Amino acid sequence: MRRIPRTVLAGAAVAGGVAAAGFAVRRRASTTGGDPRWHSVTVFRPLDDVGANLPEKLRALEVQLHPAPGDRGTEVRARSAGGEVPDGEVQRVLRESRSLLEVGDVLQPGGPTTTPTPLNKPLRAITRRTRTGGLS
Amino acid sequence: MKALQWRGVNKLAVGEVPDPEIRNRGDIIVKVKQTVTCGSDLHLLGGYIPFMEKGDVLGHEFVGEVVETGADVQRHRIGDRVVVSSFIACGKCWFCSQKEYSLCDNGNTNPAITETLWGQAPGGCFGYSHAMGGNPGSHAEYIRVPFADVGAFTVPDEVTDQRALFASDSASTGWMGADLGGVQPGDVVAVWGAGAVGQMAARAAMLLGADRVMVIDRYDNRLHQVEKHVGAETINYEQTNVALELRDRTGGRGPDVCIEAVGMEAHTPGPQQAYDQVKQQLRLQTDRPSAVREAVHACRKGGSVFVLGVFAGFVDKFPLGALMNKGLTVRGAQMHGQRYIPMLLERMAKGELTTEHLATHVMPLDEAPEGYRIFKEKEDGCVRSVFLP
Ligand SMILES: NC(=O)c1ccc[n+]([C@@H]2O[C@H](COP(=O)([O-])OP(=O)(O)OC[C@H]3O[C@@H](n4cnc5c(N)ncnc54)[C@H](O)[C@@H]3O)[C@@H](O)[C@H]2O)c1
Ligand SMILES: [Zn+2]
Ligand SMILES: [Zn+2]
Repeated sequence: MRRIPRTVLAGAAVAGGVAAAGFAVRRRASTTGGDPRWHSVTVFRPLDDVGANLPEKLRALEVQLHPAPGDRGTEVRARSAGGEVPDGEVQRVLRESRSLLEVGDVLQPGGPTTTPTPLNKPLRAITRRTRTGGLS
Repeated sequence: MKALQWRGVNKLAVGEVPDPEIRNRGDIIVKVKQTVTCGSDLHLLGGYIPFMEKGDVLGHEFVGEVVETGADVQRHRIGDRVVVSSFIACGKCWFCSQKEYSLCDNGNTNPAITETLWGQAPGGCFGYSHAMGGNPGSHAEYIRVPFADVGAFTVPDEVTDQRALFASDSASTGWMGADLGGVQPGDVVAVWGAGAVGQMAARAAMLLGADRVMVIDRYDNRLHQVEKHVGAETINYEQTNVALELRDRTGGRGPDVCIEAVGMEAHTPGPQQAYDQVKQQLRLQTDRPSAVREAVHACRKGGSVFVLGVFAGFVDKFPLGALMNKGLTVRGAQMHGQRYIPMLLERMAKGELTTEHLATHVMPLDEAPEGYRIFKEKEDGCVRSVFLP
């Protein structure tokens, strides 16, 4: 079985404590510089629910859960502890996990109806791997 | 199947593409009966939104018949006549819960592009570039509609295809401008642009109780439609000084709500047009915002400006001083169709909202490249070209 990140379990039990832990980690990450980056999404589901139903691919990452303010659901932070999963991939796992938790499914792209040209090569490189990357 | 494809800047052709198939359990496949051009497509056609690939299928405003349903679809059956929101939304995320469907977190399969451009990614749209998900559009014989229980709506028997068609995008966009722009009974509302979107915004403002509604454009045929079919007043900006005219018609106050339905290719009489065009061509600004500038300037103190016209990047000479010192609210959005379509269909059934006059040119899909040409050139009184696949 994959290791279940400590903070997830703690998050489901005592939300406040996890929030504090998350804050400490954020400061450490920004001061050391060398640590793998955290990425976040907010999932519109209660924290207990998210903690109990973490999608498989998210479980392979280091994960922290915090209740989002104003009934917005749960803030999910993730990173690749050893840095072996690239940032863009962590972002994709987070987005797909959000969709699985909220919708129960992940929207698949339509098509394709397009043909490669030298001009659209860079764009196709981005769109081939859906939901990968973003602000980093 | 046959579909209208973008083949490069200002190049369109009808070609063969694979038939769409169900890819998610919430999908339906719709046989397109009518599909229509939108001013937004002109921004794609002209290369102002640089996220198109050769072969992309255009079109996002359509009505048709359900021919296949995914396993989880509950609200639709084969044979249903449906109109579909141009933006794709999951119905389950926080944004959908706020009825801000075009901001859906789960409706765009390529969020990295817009997240990088704008900081956050809005939802997906049919036929509207890879920045909006790269979803094949409706100018085709068939289209796949994801999240069909959320975004597709059965058309009441009393409403014809040609009327329902415009609930898909232009009528819901126009309604959103008046609604989120905060139109109240007794307000004076000015609308820039007398295309389908501007006309629908004006009609919405009237139905929401505005006391006076004025639509600004330079095409007499469009302004004539506004008077005849919408029942609003008009201003031809080539014959009148818009700012002075609006002051005059509002007792010096300025309109309470200003709705911009022009977008990034706005036209301006005089030297400002050359300035904006050169800056846009040099990529010093990506968008030409002359109608937004005028709206901000004309708006009454404490009033609201709603930007319906599509903008993609940066604009120059935005009157931030007027915004700040006059205490304005400036807001914009891509359309939240799911929020308005059921109500619009009801109003269409009652005859409160008519749209058929917008379909000035109706033709087979094979003639779509020509349909876009006359729509773009506003030739022969074209307001919208409707294609029959
Ligand atoms: N927010 C949304 O979700 C949404 C949805 C649909 C369309 N749109 C956008 O709305 C805009 C209008 O769409 P449309 O289909 O009606 O387009 P359209 O091209 O048919 O009409 C635009 C009209 O604006 C007029 N115009 C140009 N410059 C002007 C100016 N300075 N002052 C006043 N009028 C001016 C033109 O003469 C034209 O009649 C486009 O930018 C389109 O992309 C937005
Ligand atoms: Zn449109
Ligand atoms: Zn959503």
